[in-house]
Amino acid sequence: MLFPTLAFGVFFLFVYFTTWSLDRENGRRKLFLLLASWFFYAQWDWRFVGLLILSAVLNWAIAALIARKMEREGADAKRGWLVGLGVAANLLILGFFKYYGFFVEQAGDLLAQFGWERDLPLLQIVLPVGISFFTFQGISYVVDVHRGKTPPAKSLLDVMLLMSFFPHLVAGPIVRASDLLPQFERAPRLTREMATHGLLLICWGLFKKTVIASELSVSLVDPVFFDPSAHSAVDIAAAVYGYAVQIYCDFSAYSDMAIGIAALLGYSFPRNFDQPYRASSMQSFWRRWHISLSSWLRDYLYVPLGGGRKGLFASCVNVFITMVLGGLWHGAAWTFLAWGALHGGVQVVERLGRSVFGDRKVMPTVLGVLITFHIVCLGWILFRAETFGLAMEMLAGLGRIGPVTMLTPLLLVLIIGGLAMHWLPPRAVEGAAERLKTAPSITLGILVGIAILLVEAVRPEGVAPFIYFQF
Amino acid sequence: MTDDRDKTGQGGFRLDPFPTQGAESPFPPLYESLPPRDPPSDWIQSADAHDLPTAPEPVVERVNPLVSLGRFAFPPGPPIDDEGVAARDQRWTTQTLVIAGLFLLVFNAVSPLNWSHQQAPGWVSETVEKVSEAWVGQLALLGADMPRHGLREAWFGAKDARFPGQTPAPERGDIE
Repeated sequence: MLFPTLAFGVFFLFVYFTTWSLDRENGRRKLFLLLASWFFYAQWDWRFVGLLILSAVLNWAIAALIARKMEREGADAKRGWLVGLGVAANLLILGFFKYYGFFVEQAGDLLAQFGWERDLPLLQIVLPVGISFFTFQGISYVVDVHRGKTPPAKSLLDVMLLMSFFPHLVAGPIVRASDLLPQFERAPRLTREMATHGLLLICWGLFKKTVIASELSVSLVDPVFFDPSAHSAVDIAAAVYGYAVQIYCDFSAYSDMAIGIAALLGYSFPRNFDQPYRASSMQSFWRRWHISLSSWLRDYLYVPLGGGRKGLFASCVNVFITMVLGGLWHGAAWTFLAWGALHGGVQVVERLGRSVFGDRKVMPTVLGVLITFHIVCLGWILFRAETFGLAMEMLAGLGRIGPVTMLTPLLLVLIIGGLAMHWLPPRAVEGAAERLKTAPSITLGILVGIAILLVEAVRPEGVAPFIYFQF
Repeated sequence: MTDDRDKTGQGGFRLDPFPTQGAESPFPPLYESLPPRDPPSDWIQSADAHDLPTAPEPVVERVNPLVSLGRFAFPPGPPIDDEGVAARDQRWTTQTLVIAGLFLLVFNAVSPLNWSHQQAPGWVSETVEKVSEAWVGQLALLGADMPRHGLREAWFGAKDARFPGQTPAPERGDIE
């Protein structure tokens, strides 16, 4: 069940009216939201609802044991093994479903190179949608309880809802326990600000996904990436820029809609994107792109590795490892590892540059933005291409002279528009919501109706799944 | 009865037991009809007070007699508490959603029909299809499908546009 579909619209209206009719009974409200979230998840594969429940029970039990140990033996209690157990269990689940096939295949290739060819047990494992998101959420909950950053949840219901809440379940944002658990403890309130903001984010997300991302994907990006050798340099360059816009509009649209849907149910999620292509350095890019993942990697990987506390060399190694593992998080393929290594490598160069030049400005901001954007685009080729071979073909095709067959005026407008939206005022949606919150409900209702009609009228038949569902 | 006048020994009147200020007049003070004083100048000591801006004239609010009557007949309630505000905001949001839904039901009526075409045959999809067909047909008589159709035509027109020298787009059939 995808957000921009009629089926989801009907489902959401049912959830909206039922939850607000239960607003005086917070426990029953949460129970209903949990059941609705499981129903939502079961639309992909009902068997994986059991995995979701198992993961939630596991994290709840380990966090409860950690909290009990701290209560009995004080803050100095030895509980590292419990945290390790929790993290390992989560990684085991993730590793089995996501990386088993990849590692077995690599091991088979490695053994074959040494002349030990073996038929390793390859399993056809279906990847549960959103598994990377809910396991990361589970890890952050256990570690935060261990670090004393968040108290353990008061009930199993809260942990289950934390991990299963349908707006963020399948593609984030990765909402921390410290953000959501306190909201679950009291009956939520819906204010006009939240409602207006939520409705505008949903409309804006629908537009980005179903108009910009879908059109670019179907008419330009997919055909060119499928067979780069059949296209000229202009078409290939347009497909690369188009993919940069497509992935931003696709993923940020999901985040916007998730934040908007949660807001209409009375909950607040953190921002996940902040005009990433405005970044003038790779470090700045990662402060603006998929913020919930980059901050997760910082807090639970980069900092435990030592962060920047052990000198320049160690910080460079740590940031490189973090980015490579971040690449691996996106998928079990060498192209994702290379993508992570590219981002890590550029950040290392930036750190070394800062250590030499200090805070002095070595290039104009515009040049920094252009260079960063093109490095990011280079990374997107690795990210999007099915294989290294296709990625290399894309790069080689950038020098091929030939007729322009794929790029049309509309696609050019969509690419330029998708990039230009990064230069809108940084809080444009919030500003519009602030103005519209005083409007009568009939005015806002008609405006929302017109926005959805516009999207519905121009959308292609059917909706492709969001790119980040596969992660 | 005693006379206190000489008790001071100074030949004066002792006023202590008596009010030292006159009783308040039952009539409104006369100075209220005078224009308000200029605000004191705190930056140009030597400036003439008459050169300085004066306080604005008090605005006399004229209340519409009908409004007065309305307020008399239906006095406004006390300000609502937090729960009242929350309930009001929730009601406002619900109304917004309902209005948006009704708007789409009229101007985007074809959406449930398209949805039913994408489903596997069954009781639900066939029922939705039949009801939607009747609904879409009736609304088309009123022209409610025209905004969507116009938008769609404009969109496909933009999609079919090509740069000079490019092969023209293939002809389309029905755009719905």
